[in-house]
Formats: sequence, structure tokens, C-alpha cells
Amino acid sequence: MKIESTRFGELEVAEEQLIHFSYGIPGFPEEKTFVHMGYDSESPFSYLQSTAEVNLTFLLADPFAFINDYEFVLEDYVAEELDLSLENPPQVFLIATVKGKLADMTVNLLAPVVVNGINRTGRQVILDKPEYSIRYKLFPDGLPKEAVKGGK
Amino acid sequence: MLALTRKIGERIVIGDNIVVTVVGIKGDSIRLAIEAPKEVKIYRGEIFDAIAAENKQAAISTDLSELDLLKELQIKK
Repeated sequence: MKIESTRFGELEVAEEQLIHFSYGIPGFPEEKTFVHMGYDSESPFSYLQSTAEVNLTFLLADPFAFINDYEFVLEDYVAEELDLSLENPPQVFLIATVKGKLADMTVNLLAPVVVNGINRTGRQVILDKPEYSIRYKLFPDGLPKEAVKGGK
Repeated sequence: MLALTRKIGERIVIGDNIVVTVVGIKGDSIRLAIEAPKEVKIYRGEIFDAIAAENKQAAISTDLSELDLLKELQIKK
């Protein structure tokens, strides 16, 4: 299928790239289907592009690439809704906020996006962990040196 | 919107399976007990609002060119 995106232009998207959010996500209750696009398999960053709203794109970060002890208990209702189990564990992403500089990027630890990669369903879960920040600075010491140098 | 006045110990029943009881009042704080099926998620209003507000902040503005740098970032999983 073809998807229009302001950021990425016209995208040819396979069914396996879609993630269905039955309840939308907080703030965007009507947005129920997103395309999940990675940079490449090595990068901890990826994008969610709404299939309906061309202007709506989120940057996601893999929490475990940055925060070693990030953890939460998946509540039963989420596991049931998304059909997750020990055999079929969730993928977990954090929604990142970039205002201006990349180095000042924050991620939302309190409300991870939990995805079943098999049946392609997801939900943004609000954790009962007041110690987790909604605006956690991903690079408290600035961008990693090798990153600043660039890839090529 | 429906507004109701309740006393301590009185309840409000919503639908067939949600019961809200006023447990206590202390100064300007009211303690509520809520019984609801586990699939009904209950949040303090300000937390849900904060998440929704942050999601709106996180929606990438279309003129943010800084993100192109991410491609160059050699951060590995």
C-alpha cells in the first residue's frame, strides 16, 4: 500500500510494517495505524508514521540501548489485549521528543510503546512508576563522540 | 456532563461494573475507592494529560532538519 508522509514523501509500505493501535495513543485517539520504519537493523532509532495523518511522525528509541536497568511489569490486561506471553515477548520502544538540537532529545520512560511484532498490534502503556520521567534526557553528556564524527 | 453530590460512604455506579465510593474527605482532598474491571484503565487525570501533552510535543515538526543527523549517528543497539 502507498502512504503519504510529509517527512518521508510517498512510501510503499508492506502489511508487515504496520502496527495497529486499537485505542490510538494518548493525545491522538483517532490515529490507529502507523507504519514502523527503522533506519537499519543496527540503529536503536526508528520512526512511527501515521497512515492517516501525513504530518504525524514520531521518533522512537530502543530503551535497552541506552538505559540498562529500564524495566517494568507488563500488566495482564496489556498482555491479553496484545496476545503477548513469555514465548511471544513484546518489543518495547520509547517515544522521543526532539525540540531543536538532537543532543537535547528526551524520551518518555513513563509511557513506553509496547508492540506484538507477530500480530502487529501495539499500545502506549502508562506505567505506575513515578520515578520514571516523561522527559528523560537521552544524552545527558551530549552526543556520543563517535556519533558527532558521523558515519562516513 | 452529569454532576452529582455525594456524602462519605455514598457511591456512584457507572454502567454495570464500575463503582466509585467516596471514602473520606480531609480538607480539600477527597479519597475515592474505584472498583472496575481490570481492562478498564484508571489514571490520575494529570498523568494521562501529561502523557498526551508530551505525545503532542513529540510529534515531529515537519521542518526539523536536525533529525537527518540521526542517520550519521553510529550508536549501536
